[in-house]
Amino acid sequence: MTEYDWASVKSDLLERVRKKGAEVARVCDAAVLEDAEPGQRPSDLLPQGKSLIVLGGAAPRAGEWQSPRVEVMETVGTADRMTTIGSSLACHIEETYGHYALNVPTSTDQNDKAFLDFGAAAVAAGAGSPSLAGPVLHPDHSFLYLTVILTSLPLPADGPLGQPACPAPSCVEMFDERGVTPCTDVCNIDDGGCLGGEVKEGLVIGRRYNKQRCRDRVYHYWIPGYQAALERALDEPDARKRKMILYGSYFTRTMWSITYSSVTQGQCFECVRVCPVGAEHRALR
Amino acid sequence: MATAVDGTTAVDELEQATERIRQVGFGAGATLVGVAKASAFNEYVPLGHRPEDFLPGAQSVVVAASLGPTNAAWQSPNRRLMEITGYDFRENVASIVMAEHIERDHGYLAMQAPALPTSGQMPPLSMMLSAVLAGLGTRSIAANIILNPTYGLMFYAAALTTMPLTPDHQIQDNVCPTRSCVKMYEMEGKTPCMAVCPADEGGCIDATIEDGEITSSFFNRERCSTRAMNFGIRGHIKQVEILTGIDNADERRELIYSDDFRRNMSSIGRYKESVSQCFECMRVCPVGRYRRKLK
Repeated sequence: MTEYDWASVKSDLLERVRKKGAEVARVCDAAVLEDAEPGQRPSDLLPQGKSLIVLGGAAPRAGEWQSPRVEVMETVGTADRMTTIGSSLACHIEETYGHYALNVPTSTDQNDKAFLDFGAAAVAAGAGSPSLAGPVLHPDHSFLYLTVILTSLPLPADGPLGQPACPAPSCVEMFDERGVTPCTDVCNIDDGGCLGGEVKEGLVIGRRYNKQRCRDRVYHYWIPGYQAALERALDEPDARKRKMILYGSYFTRTMWSITYSSVTQGQCFECVRVCPVGAEHRALR
Repeated sequence: MATAVDGTTAVDELEQATERIRQVGFGAGATLVGVAKASAFNEYVPLGHRPEDFLPGAQSVVVAASLGPTNAAWQSPNRRLMEITGYDFRENVASIVMAEHIERDHGYLAMQAPALPTSGQMPPLSMMLSAVLAGLGTRSIAANIILNPTYGLMFYAAALTTMPLTPDHQIQDNVCPTRSCVKMYEMEGKTPCMAVCPADEGGCIDATIEDGEITSSFFNRERCSTRAMNFGIRGHIKQVEILTGIDNADERRELIYSDDFRRNMSSIGRYKESVSQCFECMRVCPVGRYRRKLK
């Protein structure tokens, strides 16, 4: 039986995915997430699972962030790229090392629940840290799309980040001066937005997040938009108005969003747009 | 292709070109690549479903096969994971990459073969037949799925080309039934797949075996289809039909915002994650099973 040097195996695997386009590749012990609720624990997906490989990447291009047309960012997401890299890595692990590996589905289980908390896995592996804005932020790359591979390979784990990406020093200064950070300023929970919280001694305290409101805004096309538009169309007694709804651009866009779901799941990026973390990567010539 | 005086050089070049294309397919993600002669289809399918009908002058059909869900997905105790962990369509990618390679490097016409049904459940070109003719597998009792002797269930895509290539031999011995299935049939009158989904007990599969060979087989495709694909386009169409028949707005709202409705939409949107919701005949199939046991 082949005896592997797991540190070398890990190094080879992470190098492989970096070549394929992952900006961040880290590992955490699967057991770290075993205190999640039943159905969302790694062992619920793969009892033999020992390690979680967290990949982050496929962030919007700097040019897309700069575009004055909001429609650009609304329709050019590239999350699917990470899923493809994850699937490829899972196959590679099984074929090369004879250990189980699965790319944890990015879509949801019953009642719209995630199969696994990708954010928690990313934080445990040090692929990023929680933020006031919501997404897990990487100190260099900021907002990244994530994919997680659960495997029975006993890979050495990376720890969480020593220094969280959020709040950035400039956000701490801003909070000290004005009582808000850029993200809580642009989408303030007390002013019809989604985000709130305080910064004390450089740490986020008492974060508030209106998940339902955020979801409503981020996904106003895609499945929730389609459900709303279809309900409206079916409720409309006037046949001509019904026809206008069904053939209208809103309904058409919801259909495009669904069929091209990997490229149009988010229609609001405002909290990350103003976030200073990784801003240098979004400012080019 | 160079014209050879003695014919040998041409054969060698043909084989080398075929091998190069095969390697391109492997590089693009195919687990296996097989080649069939385009004319081989004529014996089995009517006009309108032959390679020549889609690419006049087609000489060869290059078939890419991939494994689909990883072995870990097969092992998961959460059955919903297999329901939505489809695969990454890498065989489709491989077939397109091989077609591009043929046009760019060899100067012959090449295209991805049309495989999705455009009318009813009949595909324009059968990927199952393509796989059989390219020597990648044989038809099985289990839902007629083409089983590869080494890997069992595989997913297939093909490229059509006007380039003459060296065809692979078809597999001579049927992969299905295996010896263990024949033994089980002799003792219990059914194979593992027939036992898990018997047609006479509300399932989809039935067959008879004599002297180790399938002598008759029955597959209830319509029933299988409604079970294997209960989320997705068909599920959504069914729900729209139900919705148009509901007069009460609150009842309509309940259906539109139900988990079932959302899952249908999610299946359509993330099609590649949710191609099938039943794998039971394959789960018990012994072909390639040893390859699914890992550490």
